[in-house]
Amino acid sequence: MTLQRWFVLRRLVRERGRTLLTVAGVALGVAVFVAIRLASQSALGSFRDTVDAVAGRAQLQVVSRTDGFVESHYARIRATPGVVAAAPIVQVSALARTMMRPAATRSVESSTATEFGETVLVLGLDPLVEAPFLRLGSASDASSGPRFAETLRLIAEPGAVAITRTFAERHALDVDDTLHVLASGLPTPLAVAAILESEELQQAMGGNIVLADIATVQHVFDRQGRLDRVDLILEPGARDQVIASLESWLPADAEAMLPQGRSRQVENLVAAFSLNLTALSFIAIFVSMFLVFNAVALSVVRQRRDIGILRAIGLTRGQTLGLFLAEGAWVGAIGGVLGLVLGVLLARGTLAFVGRTLTDLYLIQHANEVRLDPWTLGGGLLLGVVTALLSALAPAWEAASTRPGATMRQGMWVEAKGVPVGRLAGIGSLVLLASFVMALLTVSANAPWGGFVAAFLCIVGFALFAPAMTRVIPPILAPLAARLGGIASQLGVRALREVVARASVVVAAMMVAVAMLVALTLMVGSFRQTVDTWITQTLRGDLYIEPVGHRASLGATALPDSLVEGARRLPGVVAVDTYRAAAITLRDRPAFAIGIDFEVQAAHGRLRYVGGEDHGAVMRAALVRGDVVITESLAHKFRLKRGDRLTLPAPSGAETVTIAGVFYDYSTDAGAVLMDRSLFARLWQDPRTESLALYLESDADLGSVRRAFLHLAGPSRLLHVTPNHALRERVLEVFDQTFQITWALQAIAVIVAALGVVSTLTALVLQRAREIGVLRSVGATRGQIVQMVLTESGLLGLVGSLLGSLAGLSLALVLVHVINKQFFGWSIRFELDPWVFMHAAALMVATSLLAGLIPARLAAGRVAADAVRVE
Amino acid sequence: MSEALRFETVEKSFALGEGTVHALRGVSLTFAAGEFAAIVGRSGSGKSTLLNLAAGIDTPDTGEVWVAGQALSALSDDELTVLRRDRIGMVYQFFHLLPTLSVCENVALPSLLAGVREREALQRADTLLDEVGLADRREARPHTLSGGEMQRAALARALLHDPALVLADEPTGNLDSRSAEHMVALLASLGPRHGATVLMVTHSREAAQAADRIVELGDGRLMADSRNGVR
Repeated sequence: MTLQRWFVLRRLVRERGRTLLTVAGVALGVAVFVAIRLASQSALGSFRDTVDAVAGRAQLQVVSRTDGFVESHYARIRATPGVVAAAPIVQVSALARTMMRPAATRSVESSTATEFGETVLVLGLDPLVEAPFLRLGSASDASSGPRFAETLRLIAEPGAVAITRTFAERHALDVDDTLHVLASGLPTPLAVAAILESEELQQAMGGNIVLADIATVQHVFDRQGRLDRVDLILEPGARDQVIASLESWLPADAEAMLPQGRSRQVENLVAAFSLNLTALSFIAIFVSMFLVFNAVALSVVRQRRDIGILRAIGLTRGQTLGLFLAEGAWVGAIGGVLGLVLGVLLARGTLAFVGRTLTDLYLIQHANEVRLDPWTLGGGLLLGVVTALLSALAPAWEAASTRPGATMRQGMWVEAKGVPVGRLAGIGSLVLLASFVMALLTVSANAPWGGFVAAFLCIVGFALFAPAMTRVIPPILAPLAARLGGIASQLGVRALREVVARASVVVAAMMVAVAMLVALTLMVGSFRQTVDTWITQTLRGDLYIEPVGHRASLGATALPDSLVEGARRLPGVVAVDTYRAAAITLRDRPAFAIGIDFEVQAAHGRLRYVGGEDHGAVMRAALVRGDVVITESLAHKFRLKRGDRLTLPAPSGAETVTIAGVFYDYSTDAGAVLMDRSLFARLWQDPRTESLALYLESDADLGSVRRAFLHLAGPSRLLHVTPNHALRERVLEVFDQTFQITWALQAIAVIVAALGVVSTLTALVLQRAREIGVLRSVGATRGQIVQMVLTESGLLGLVGSLLGSLAGLSLALVLVHVINKQFFGWSIRFELDPWVFMHAAALMVATSLLAGLIPARLAAGRVAADAVRVE
Repeated sequence: MSEALRFETVEKSFALGEGTVHALRGVSLTFAAGEFAAIVGRSGSGKSTLLNLAAGIDTPDTGEVWVAGQALSALSDDELTVLRRDRIGMVYQFFHLLPTLSVCENVALPSLLAGVREREALQRADTLLDEVGLADRREARPHTLSGGEMQRAALARALLHDPALVLADEPTGNLDSRSAEHMVALLASLGPRHGATVLMVTHSREAAQAADRIVELGDGRLMADSRNGVR
């Protein structure tokens, strides 16, 4: 420890500026990782808690694989030997009014945004059988649940509900107040009969839980005769027997599972999204590795003479290695701790981004509270220390393996031994070849993880070209630099050539930042263009209609038949497509079954098929034969293709259907099975409609039809009536929101790379103090010194950008054709926009120049005599 | 008297550009325990190479070096390091004190490297600093010392663990004549007091005269070997 204190900690304190830069790099890297992980885990943890809280003490659940099962199964489930208690549940998410206004207007968007601003989970249960499940309060603690009279009121009074204390306090609600929720777009008053004190329910969805009698929920949300699940408490040791007994007779649309099963399904659903976000969060820490590498390598070079002395008087190789590894470990530990603090602070903002995406894309409701998971915090700290140690390993090994005689002889102003530029480039070529082979294998073997390995190898391969590029590019640019910037710029170019070893590490760091920037911009740009084309081609309706709150309530939403029929008769309307969806579970993964009007689709729609089939022909044939079409992501996930057979867990029983086509779809990677509404109505025993698409005559006035429809719907129902262009904008808005976090992560990686420029150039300036002093003593002005250093920093940015652009292009191809395809099953049309490279290069050169200002001013400030004296 | 150091037909050459420099050509020498020997010769005669080979910092191309009966070629890098740390003390022309440590910390370093506790190492360093007359400069940084003081600190460091062998490479080369005289006197007196054989490479005839034995090298070969200044 004394050696560490003398040789590591003192140096870190003495060179505190450089230490701070390196520590900041590690801290940012750790912070990004911690923030992303905390945000993802908080959102999913909140969902898990909600599942746990609404499950109460249930040990087993019979859950619907799709849109509820008939309630007549309840009696048989309850009678199963080994079942001690059984509680039927109907569960619906709905928008609740959280702002009181004198009169609700029918101006839809503003109305939902301001008045019905929160999603609540409405749980319909039977209070008479609830006691063992403790959802209405603890048996031993009478104060935690509703009193007997309140419980009776829940049963006896239609529309009576219990709300959590948290929700009540947040919205100033009390017993006997009215809570309004949206049911199929209709604001529906519910009477608050009790306030729930149970702590579990306060935590679930941030307290947005509403409990009611099962009949109330079935009535309000049009779920008569259906149950979403039955919760069970079992005799000790009876679980397997009960499961076996239930599985012997349960219909295809119901299954017995443990209460954690639903959480697992949701985690499966968002696994690809979470994993890709986590992978992105590693970029900054990866860039910071170069920073630590350079800092430790610089320590080794600057202390080469001291190492020689220490080795001569008895420092062993192991101790030498330990000293420089300790430097990395200290930087990692300090950066890690700071990163944890910063990560926790950033996590709240990150949760808003991640949570919105989980809600928009996967319909997962959650609370906006960051949970400080000790494993994530510990992992973040470990990540900082381990990456710093790994980064320090190579320079530390070099210090330890140099013979003391060699270091003693070379004197003080030695450069590290020459970089084997050619050999590194050769290894780089082999690594790139390995990356290419890995990408091909991944695609052919359908193995998602291989995509990340290919991407990693791609970055490492190009990084190994950094020394060659650093050696080759500056001499090519020397004449241009001399013409533009005179002798000062020329000296800058030459100086860079002399320090290829360290400069190339910064170039590699910048290369990684630029590569990720270029790759993500190309990938997101291509994806956006693909989605835009997809919407334009497939969304052919002129007006899209859905009740406000549809996205929250999904299958619990229904439009009256009279409204659907009325829409068909409106002047200017050519055709009406109806939409009804049900969540389904296929091989333990959530997906959707959707019923639309294939006849209308054949005439007016235009889905694009993977096999290039004609849309009209596919629709008409499917209509006649009772076939389905499926999304590309579903086909990819379950390795299905046109002509294959697929078994659907429908309420009418398991139904095997033929796949008539696989179509491109980018709405969600969960996947969907599309069928004609008549088939859906037969299989799901549900002819209702959730939403509509109106196709208008070419000369019809959109505004007039919209007004006519709203008039038809009446003043009480809140509806989104969205023109085609607005829906398209909304889709692209959600798309852009999804990728906002990507840019934030990218910006941090660029900042870390810029810290590398500041750190390395400052060190080089300090090391070249004598040379700079000589220049000043023979007449170089401060301006010329600044220009010289800025030429170096600008060149670092330029070389990094050139290499990064090449790497970025390759990486983009891996992202688009391997990672995206394997994880999400989406085909993205690759679009090569040359401006992406220009922007990235301009950004990186400007960042480098800005970062170069600090060392440039330091160099210019040196007094000639002092500098010359330094030895 | 027992043998402290032996060179057995040692050859050593270095690559220099396209050519090769033969630093030592078949040198054989033996030094007894407690002996104070001066190695003299012109620049490039192989004096410092001889010292580096004795310290195990360099290895001979052919031949063998024995320290306290131990053949150095049989030792691993770490064993050589331990040998240097425990049995050999080094004094260099340019002092080679670490600028970031205080004088006392510089002197204590070999003990710390050997795993001695900090307090003990610093106490031992204080005793040595007292012996070389630097007790009042223990907290000073090396760059604030005079050349003579720096070299005395280096000698204190070399003697810290009572080595069998003290190797001094031009210890007076960077000193004024008075400091040089003081330094040689310290080597002559402190070496035997700590039971060490002292090998001093020097250009200085005056310094060499203070030694028990003078070995002269020329062009990598042994030119003369005399005792008490008598050839």
